Amino acid sequence: MDALANNFQVLFQGLALGSIYALVALGFVLIIRATNVVNFAQGDFAMLGAYIMVAFLVNAGMPYWLSFALAIVAMGVFGLLFNYGVYYPLRHRGFLPVIISTLGASIFLQNSVLALFGAQPKRLDNVVAGGIQIGSVFLDSQYLVILAVTMVMVAFQYFFFEHTMIGKKLQATSQDKDMARLLGIPVALMIAITFIYSAALGGLAGVLVGPVLFVSIGMGSIIALKAFAATIIGGFGDVKGAIVGGLFIGVVESFAAFYISVPYKDAYAFLMLFLVLVFRPQGFFGEKVSEKA
Amino acid sequence: MRVSILGALSAGAIASLFAFGAAADNIRIGLVSEITGPNAEAGSYTINGAKLAVEQINKKGGILGKQVELVIEDNQSTNPGTVLAFSKLGGNSDIPAMIGPIRSTQVQAASPAIQKAGIPVMIGGTDPSLTHVNNPWVFRCRPNDTFSSRVISDFGVNKLKLKKWAIVHSTDAFGSGGQKALTEALKGLGVEPVLIQGYTNNSQDFTPVVLAIKKSGADVIGTYMTNSQDVGIFAKQLRQLGVTATWIGSPSIVTDTAMKLAGESLHGTYGIADFNPDANAEAKAYAAAYRSKYSVEPDVYSSWAFDAMNVIAQAMNSSKSSKPDDIRKAILALKNWKGVEGNYNFDANGDGLRGYNIVKNDGGKVKFVEHISFDK
Amino acid sequence: MQNSQSRRLSPWFFILLALGVAVALLPYMFNVSHFVLSMFMQATTYAIAVLGMVVVLGYTGQINLAQAAFFGFGAYGVALGTVSYGLSFWVALALGIGIAGLAGGILGLTTLRLGGHYLAMITISFQQIFDLVAVNWIEVTHGPDGIAGIPRPSFFGHELSDDRAYLLLCSIVLIALIIAVWYLPRTRLGRAMRGVRENELAAEVVGVHTLRTKVIAFTMSAALGGIGGGLYAGGFAYISPDNFNFQRAVEFLSMVLLGGAQSPFGGALGTTLLILLPEWLKEMPPALQFIKDVYLAIYGLAVILIMVFMPEGIWGLLRNGWMKFARAKPVDTSGIKPLNLDIAVTETTPLLKLEGMQKHFGGLKAVDGVDLEVRRGTVHALIGPNGSGKTTTLNVVNGIYKPTGGRIIVDGIDVSQKSPHERAAHGLGRTFQNIRLFPSMSALENVIVGAQRDNNPIERGSAALRARAMSALEFVGLADKADAIVRSLPYGHQRLVEIARALAGHPKLLLLDEPAAGLNQTEKMELVELLKKLRGGHGLTIFLIDHDMGLVEKVSDRITVLNFGRKIAEGSPQEVLRHPDVIAAYLGDANAAA
Repeated sequence: MDALANNFQVLFQGLALGSIYALVALGFVLIIRATNVVNFAQGDFAMLGAYIMVAFLVNAGMPYWLSFALAIVAMGVFGLLFNYGVYYPLRHRGFLPVIISTLGASIFLQNSVLALFGAQPKRLDNVVAGGIQIGSVFLDSQYLVILAVTMVMVAFQYFFFEHTMIGKKLQATSQDKDMARLLGIPVALMIAITFIYSAALGGLAGVLVGPVLFVSIGMGSIIALKAFAATIIGGFGDVKGAIVGGLFIGVVESFAAFYISVPYKDAYAFLMLFLVLVFRPQGFFGEKVSEKA
Repeated sequence: MRVSILGALSAGAIASLFAFGAAADNIRIGLVSEITGPNAEAGSYTINGAKLAVEQINKKGGILGKQVELVIEDNQSTNPGTVLAFSKLGGNSDIPAMIGPIRSTQVQAASPAIQKAGIPVMIGGTDPSLTHVNNPWVFRCRPNDTFSSRVISDFGVNKLKLKKWAIVHSTDAFGSGGQKALTEALKGLGVEPVLIQGYTNNSQDFTPVVLAIKKSGADVIGTYMTNSQDVGIFAKQLRQLGVTATWIGSPSIVTDTAMKLAGESLHGTYGIADFNPDANAEAKAYAAAYRSKYSVEPDVYSSWAFDAMNVIAQAMNSSKSSKPDDIRKAILALKNWKGVEGNYNFDANGDGLRGYNIVKNDGGKVKFVEHISFDK
Repeated sequence: MQNSQSRRLSPWFFILLALGVAVALLPYMFNVSHFVLSMFMQATTYAIAVLGMVVVLGYTGQINLAQAAFFGFGAYGVALGTVSYGLSFWVALALGIGIAGLAGGILGLTTLRLGGHYLAMITISFQQIFDLVAVNWIEVTHGPDGIAGIPRPSFFGHELSDDRAYLLLCSIVLIALIIAVWYLPRTRLGRAMRGVRENELAAEVVGVHTLRTKVIAFTMSAALGGIGGGLYAGGFAYISPDNFNFQRAVEFLSMVLLGGAQSPFGGALGTTLLILLPEWLKEMPPALQFIKDVYLAIYGLAVILIMVFMPEGIWGLLRNGWMKFARAKPVDTSGIKPLNLDIAVTETTPLLKLEGMQKHFGGLKAVDGVDLEVRRGTVHALIGPNGSGKTTTLNVVNGIYKPTGGRIIVDGIDVSQKSPHERAAHGLGRTFQNIRLFPSMSALENVIVGAQRDNNPIERGSAALRARAMSALEFVGLADKADAIVRSLPYGHQRLVEIARALAGHPKLLLLDEPAAGLNQTEKMELVELLKKLRGGHGLTIFLIDHDMGLVEKVSDRITVLNFGRKIAEGSPQEVLRHPDVIAAYLGDANAAA
């Protein structure tokens, strides 16, 4: 038995799952930066995206790529609805009511999907069938796709925020809303765009992860918790941090499950989180937490 | 505030009293199952099975000349929900018998409530201890885990001649109970497992488990897995990482969902099944009726409830009584009663079945291999 | 709003109390089914846990998504204590509550300094870990099988095996705890909690040990969860991990929000409604039966709707409705003692001394080595152009920022490393440029929070606090507005309430951050009069910042001028305002161009 191959396999799985956490964490971070609140329904965006994909592909029998595109577009529309239904009415009321409202949205989404699709998990097929065999190591094609898409999205996001006008406006909005308003940036519209984008991003994560984890009601919750842990470990509201944090959690839990204990796998992410909070509360990339007078 | 508690509670209480006071002409049989929550999928099959039985019974003239009516109560897939559901149904004197949950922990939680209700309750949980707590009202319409593990080990060791066992199990009550029983049963056949590996339900990645199996060099894997989803992911990764060992699994391996999700990764595996359409004549007839009514393949979640409902009807008709104690005695008196899951002989503990079907996933089709039973 | 009105409400309180006792005795009077008793039992034990949510979320404004875990500690304490270790029910209950409280305290200590989002996440994580451990640590917790056969306690030799008797016990505990939680906001601790909720920074600055207050709130909340859980375990005789998972925690949250987080009555009401809700949905007519399948979805939707349309919950609606009918009683302003602000000036050393004080933000040197002395009993103004470091200086003196270098000495003691509330206890008072009051509390309550700082030289007891606060309000001319909710007061009055809050703490040194900002001319005149009244031989020392040179000149004994974080001039108003550097600093570019 080749120990090196095993380690490589474990690393690969960890990176792949970690990049799913990173994609969802990216959605978290964008909304945190735009609105200063955490969207507890972010994981359910992934779940919903995957189910919409199933509805188009399996129930309506549409071609794969059309279903894929429609699912992402539908999630964008959903993001807009979410903005106006869950966030907008509470925008002046501090973070607590908004957090609670998104929690309510999460319960609503999970149970609505349950009523519509039933509790039986659904199958989605890999984007490309098969995988790559290197010695005793097997790289599942879907995991490779996930890794590739994550990299592309990170690059896209960098380009979008740094080199397009609308991206710069979004950045200005997230840094200082009052200033942005004075500069004539339509802040409410920018926040709506943020919700659309992060819902689409969540949907993308769901569609991608569907083939490996299967599509089920609870698929979003556990991913979201890890993704949130990733945003804190990486640095609250930091884009780099979300990605590094996501990959870090994926890899750590993968190795810890392999070397320490499988049943406690879900606890490692939270353990990491506690350690980071105690010893480096600002996370890997974050700035020191303090309140202004 | 207190006013509202008073008003609300009394309104609720009165409403329930009225609801139960209605339609007294029918024989009312309680059914506690999962309508909401994570196990709603399995719950819907259970309800299907029981409903099909009721339909057939009513067509044949009902029980004691009366039509049968199911009173279904949701347990929200939780233990507290089960306790509440039982105390709700158990408080109604016009319900002479009930069908309970298929999850062992839920039965365990409800046990005191069942005792308090004092009516026969048919259960599907397979934890052996459920029928060994001096509760005379619990009857099991499935073989318990000591039999499932004996069947798995007997088939693997004696028929397939495989000696290097890895056991993979969920850490929930079902999984860890099954693991203990299988380890014992294998010891009884002189085999020490080379690996015992647990995991928590809804694991996203089984790579560490698969690598551990690879390392152990096992040639046969016995599994006690609870969720079809976990079976699906495990199967895919097991085959992807090149493990070709024989796999004999607990019933979840041959559920419709698991087979759909895992596809060809599950081809060639063995499973134990309470129910198989080809196991006997009753099963054949039931499968045909179930398919035509619901257009899905029948599985254990529906078949056990179908048998449970029929056992109740049989016992009530043969004792010509709707008194709980008479029904209880009539159930115990059944001899070789032919159900779709096998022949029922209830022992003093209330265990009705002692055997399983071995089935094989043959290219996506479940093929009946043999029935192994430990009836004396 | 609470104080005087609730005094008026007290007959209502006793009526509610009597009704509560009547409900508790109901099962003895009527024949209720086992099912209804179970529902009662669930409602009472859950309501106790929900009271914890009232304390932590409603009063203190901190989110807790792990209440089900604390509920679980209590339940496992009782279950394992009695079944595995053969302890008596009461000992096991005490242990369970103790462990729950301890866990809450530790969790609070590690995360409460980080605030909102972290707390939400950490409590969720804690909840998940609790669940994982309860399921997987089978040797101790019995794993997912749970623990059966939990005995009921005996009470003075009387075994409470009868459901009705046990329910009576639970009801009595619940009623007692409702009263305790209802009374809490009227105590020193309760006011501190509400101050933290309303404006954490202001609470800290007026002397509330905010971290300790939050940790206490969290501990109390966890202990209440433990009590509820312990009683639950005894009531149902069987527990398993799925009683205590994240879903249950969300349920507790929904209960408190629906009923109204700011009142124990609201909490109990919300609990009752949500426990009954599924039953009601099941009894719907056939046409509405589909609701049965989606009621959890409706539940989620309801949470959003409550947040949007009913932020104070049902109880809040009821109370606001009642308030409309209730006439506000005029405040009794007779017999208010004049405010004692006297500070003995015995030493000649400066009261405040800054030695080379620095504060850098990254590369920005906001304050760069300032030396300054403020003499006792004087009014000392700090002026300078925008961005010269005035507010930063005040924030460092006050403890909101820790200095990068140098020392701050107040009345002979180096306070450089002390927290704002410790400095408040040492006699520092302060107001803010953008007023920081506790908006939904009354003017009187705001000022009482200021009066209750540590070491305030007044008599002990709530009567003395109240008297001190009334004197302070009278001093600023707002005694008749004592019961008004601060949010509803005009801006100028709010500023005065903030000054009264600072004065109620009997400060040695009062820091005023642009007190004239946002005031109209009349209000400014009144402020000048007030400041003159303050310097009138009480020994109080005032250190203030303002942009209004007219005001500064009228009230100050001495002025220090800052520019780019450094002191550029100091002296009497006349000297300083004629100093060429000062003129240059203020006119800046205009001078250079000339």
